[in-house]
Amino acid sequence: MMTTILLMACITFFTRYLFLHRALPFKVGPKMQQFLSFSAPAVLTAIWVPIVFINDEGINLDWQNPYLSAAVVSVIVAYKTHNIYYTTLAGMGLFIILS
Amino acid sequence: MLPLCLAVLPWGILCGSLAVQNGFSALETQAMSLLVFAGSAQLVAIELMAGNTPLLTILFTTLIISSRHFLYGLAIRHKVIDQPFRWRLPVSFVLTDELFAFSHHHKAYRTKVRLIYALSAGFSFYIAWNIWTLLGIVAGSLLPDLTHLGLDFAIAATFIALVIPGVKNLATLATVITAGVVATLLKSQGFQLWLVTAALIAMTVGYLISRWQAKEEHTL
Repeated sequence: MMTTILLMACITFFTRYLFLHRALPFKVGPKMQQFLSFSAPAVLTAIWVPIVFINDEGINLDWQNPYLSAAVVSVIVAYKTHNIYYTTLAGMGLFIILS
Repeated sequence: MLPLCLAVLPWGILCGSLAVQNGFSALETQAMSLLVFAGSAQLVAIELMAGNTPLLTILFTTLIISSRHFLYGLAIRHKVIDQPFRWRLPVSFVLTDELFAFSHHHKAYRTKVRLIYALSAGFSFYIAWNIWTLLGIVAGSLLPDLTHLGLDFAIAATFIALVIPGVKNLATLATVITAGVVATLLKSQGFQLWLVTAALIAMTVGYLISRWQAKEEHTL
């Protein structure tokens, strides 16, 4: 088990360090930079949306799905307040009440 | 970064308790958070290891989930690359989704003050993540079945809080909608590379729209 954990650690570190390694002979041009500026919203959204919509049976679009209503409230609070505390508290609070 | 340290509390507890309830020792669970330090990879690996999945499958899955960090490294490369190795090494170790989401300032990582700021944020997140894992280990060994409380919703809520305030133009809005729809469709079909594929498609959509808008402005 420890061996697996150590190997996993090497892999995650490798993915984080690789492009910060100076010997890699390339420069990121302005077009590539603009493309990469969309990576944070793209990756983070690609992680959270499936958590909300997918359960063990597949895609769940039912309004009774507590993940969905809590996510809608979180989005509204995030949009209005720009505040991480309010967003997670409102979302988690409603989620716990509903489920 | 402090709000984020607190926001990952449910996620850390989920990770710690899930591991303990799947037969990991306390030491192994903590070692995972100390060494791997990647919530989503840890959660998936715990389930795989508990199911006696072959080592190569576990490592390949870890690589796929972690491959989004390649994008992060590329995106901050021009800001960090002139710094000496003794700074780049710790920055890359704490380059999480959360830290990356805070890396957009054009001067980020470029001055000594900004570097120290980023590293303090990154390592305080590291310490918080490990304390929450420890809490999860304790809670998981005392209470049965913490894993069905829907603690994973906390991940969604945190990322919503990180993404939504940044949606300020059509290109980003289109990126976010594309990423959500494509990721959900691909993941529900069991496609292994769903995360990176959805991200790349969404980034392309955002990039093309921003190019098109710049061109429109140019012709007016």
